[in-house]
Amino acid sequence: MAILEVKNLTHTYSENSAFINDAVSDVSFTVEKGEIIGIIGHTGSGKSTLVQHLNGLLKPTVGTVLFEDTDIWEKPKEIRKIRSKVGLVFQYPEYQLFEETVFKDICFGPKNMGLSGDELKERVLEICKIVGVREEYFQKSPFDLSGGEKRRVAIAGVMAMRPEVIVFDEPTAGLDPSGRENVMQIIKDYREATGATVIIISHSMEDMASLVDKILVMNKGRLYMFDTVENVFSKKEELESIGLNVPIVTRVFLELKRKGIDIDTNVFTVQRAIEVLNSLKEGNGNA
Amino acid sequence: MLKDITFGQYYDCKSLLHRLDARIKIILMIIFIVFIFISKNIFSLLFAAMSVFAITIISRVPFKLYLKNMKAILPVLIFTAVINIFYGDGGKVLVHFWVIEITTAGLYRSFFMALRILLLIFISSALTYTTTPNDLTDAIESLLSPLKFIGLKSAVHTLAMMMTIALRFIPTLIEEAEKIMNAQKARGADLESGGLLDRIKALIPILIPLLMSAVRRAYELAEAMECRCYNGGEGKTRMKQMHLKKADLFSFIVVALMCGSIVALNILL
Repeated sequence: MAILEVKNLTHTYSENSAFINDAVSDVSFTVEKGEIIGIIGHTGSGKSTLVQHLNGLLKPTVGTVLFEDTDIWEKPKEIRKIRSKVGLVFQYPEYQLFEETVFKDICFGPKNMGLSGDELKERVLEICKIVGVREEYFQKSPFDLSGGEKRRVAIAGVMAMRPEVIVFDEPTAGLDPSGRENVMQIIKDYREATGATVIIISHSMEDMASLVDKILVMNKGRLYMFDTVENVFSKKEELESIGLNVPIVTRVFLELKRKGIDIDTNVFTVQRAIEVLNSLKEGNGNA
Repeated sequence: MLKDITFGQYYDCKSLLHRLDARIKIILMIIFIVFIFISKNIFSLLFAAMSVFAITIISRVPFKLYLKNMKAILPVLIFTAVINIFYGDGGKVLVHFWVIEITTAGLYRSFFMALRILLLIFISSALTYTTTPNDLTDAIESLLSPLKFIGLKSAVHTLAMMMTIALRFIPTLIEEAEKIMNAQKARGADLESGGLLDRIKALIPILIPLLMSAVRRAYELAEAMECRCYNGGEGKTRMKQMHLKKADLFSFIVVALMCGSIVALNILL
């Protein structure tokens, strides 16, 4: 079942009349329930503008966004309701923290949905468990935490609304490798616990390869490709022509192939690379 | 919604006013404002109004931009006009009600005040529309430089630097505020409805992160400045030196003539 459907979406920023340029033009795609979608594209390709339409922060200039077959702008006054169904985690979400304590900050989203009392507390405790915000952090000021911890709390703040679709705008930007891994793990854990649909914008092709089912490629405001990881990453030249690339491992394998080694180049993760190399080694050993 | 706020409202085009030295523009503006308030009869004030109108045309800035600025202070304008109606002494009494008395002198006075304020806005808009914020701060620093001789040596530079930094960071902070607003909206924050108290409360999730980020940026900037051995204005040279040109002298003469005419009309009529 399609949980999100974007039809002919065009968005024009009209504030700056100096360059009337469609930030997003004529984009259509469908997201099935439970899928993990990655969005890649060069800076300024319209990725962030596109995802801000999914929870009604921006209104399409032309076109519609359907959530469970209903136009989210059908009742403009109730647009706030969609924001708890389609959660959006912005870039550097730690800059949105504002409460005195970590616990209170995570409560902000569900409170805005109208939850209170035990229900609210239960919801927040549950999400803290999934995300790994330990109890000793609850009464700390969010401003005293380290960068990675802040991001964890900020992400929990959105997840606490228990959205059915959760969208991340470059969730790992500015983190060290272990922080990046933590964030990716949080996303996986949330998905496992709730069965949510996930959409991720990322510049890291490696993250994409290891996590997502399908990749949506944006170029200059238009949808360039929307296909499985394998199909997208097999088009290295096309991706390079729009300033993108394939994962580093894939590049290594393509280079090996070019050097004349008979090898499968559909390798997008290090895990898969090890498998392929091992089978190659065994194959050679046998020969 | 935050994009409606224009600050440092420089309008980029080429005109005589754009070319003038910012220091001269500031001085001339102040002189002209003084003379607008000196003009005491209808003829001199109308002459001043015509002069201001001419200046707005010379600036080549669309007239609707001037009107936009006027709209912003319209409440003040109306308030001043209404208050002044009741302060007229003499003249024919038009309305008499309890202690309130409206006279022709009052109406006359209120019209005068309103027109003066209007001209004030137009002339200062002409300055800000034709001068970049950076030129303005440089000009202020240069104009305040005599203060150095009375022991306020570092104060002049510090003040100018503060203004420059403030102007530089306004667009950055607006962008930041927009991002934070969107992030809180995504968490279901309701910024658009509710009573006054609710709306003020709804600002807390935006103002606190904004303040935090301003402080963070201040630290970063201070560190970056120290890394480049910033030590105040001592021995600092400028990339753009300001020089007076022929056009500056010319404009000075024109404004002097305008002011002279205002005084003449004051005396003669």
